[in-house]
Amino acid sequence: MEGKVIVVTSGKGGVGKTTVTASIGAALAMQGKRVAVVDMDIGLRNLDVVMGLENRVVFNIVDIIKGKCKLKQAAIKDRRIENLFLIPASQSDDKNAIKPENMVWLANKMRKEYDVTLLDCPAGIEQGFKNSIVAADEAVVVCTPEVSAVRDADRIIGLLYAQSITPKLIVNRIVPKMVENGDMLSHEDVVEVLSIDLIGLIEMDDRVVVSTNTGTPLVLQNDSKAGKALTRIAMRLDGHPDLAIENPMAQKGFWKKIGLKLSRKN
Amino acid sequence: MKFNELLKKLMNKTDSRDIAKKRLKFALLTDKLEVKTDTLGNLQKDLVEVISRYFVIETESIKIDIQRSEKSSALIFNTPILSATNQRGLPSA
Ligand SMILES: Nc1ncnc2c1ncn2[C@@H]1O[C@H](COP(=O)(O)OP(=O)(O)O)[C@@H](O)[C@H]1O
Ligand SMILES: [Mg+2]
Repeated sequence: MEGKVIVVTSGKGGVGKTTVTASIGAALAMQGKRVAVVDMDIGLRNLDVVMGLENRVVFNIVDIIKGKCKLKQAAIKDRRIENLFLIPASQSDDKNAIKPENMVWLANKMRKEYDVTLLDCPAGIEQGFKNSIVAADEAVVVCTPEVSAVRDADRIIGLLYAQSITPKLIVNRIVPKMVENGDMLSHEDVVEVLSIDLIGLIEMDDRVVVSTNTGTPLVLQNDSKAGKALTRIAMRLDGHPDLAIENPMAQKGFWKKIGLKLSRKN
Repeated sequence: MKFNELLKKLMNKTDSRDIAKKRLKFALLTDKLEVKTDTLGNLQKDLVEVISRYFVIETESIKIDIQRSEKSSALIFNTPILSATNQRGLPSA
């Protein structure tokens, strides 16, 4: 059976695409899949440092496309997780070094080699975005509970529909306390406005920064709520679409209730 | 946070969350109504073609525009009619 290509995109920068790509890739590989993550941000390579593989980059995606190396030669094996590979972006080439038809060709090769290929899409709607979506079978749109991020997500969703792709939504960087106080859009607000299906909710979590500091996978950190949420998103993407989505707000309510009960007893 | 909500209502304070949601809804609506410059031109050409089947119109003074307000948007098409054309669609005898 051929593998599938999933693009992780957002429109706006800094909302968590790279974090999500690296983490879902790691989680899927740990769930037994053969996974490649591809940095599509030509000229602004990022995924390699987030994954702690920056010292191993020899070839990159542009080299594969220009025929300077084989796909397998450019794929960097992860240090910790079996069956996880990174195809780095080129740092020196121009944004337009890759054409959509090149990506279609590469995606076909990747489907034969990997069960899941995740494309870490650059911000914006230009060449890098276009290259990423022509090659994709499915899409995950990441957005944060902010007006600008949701508006950009809406634009991206429209462009994905135009490519006959029905994306799934991740709301990232949720701060339950702020939502509760009426200072942040809730995920329900975001879903209502964008009217697409959710695939996961991720809280704001200090562990994310810690994990990028050291280049270690977030999903390996047992104490990370974001890591746990991402592991569950990976399961939903592959084989368990109906796995319940944990609501950060509800969880808070639950602990609060317990806290109340305890304080009443004492 | 029922108590908080009550307090806010009493103080007549609007949550920034609600403001954000309202602004978003409006922005998304107007974003979708924003058309490429040549779209309106193409629409005008098509409309003139259809209307000309029924009326003789003065093509020079046609106005087409999208008008936006806080609450709604409208497509405004204004054309003087000179006369009715020979109706093509007359019921056949
Ligand atoms: N759930 C989260 N909690 C805390 N920080 C986060 C979270 N998700 C992302 N970040 C941080 O936000 C920044 C942008 O994330 P990144 O994945 O690089 O976004 P993008 O690839 O969309 O530009 C990074 O510094 C990252 O560590
Ligand atoms: Mg990124």
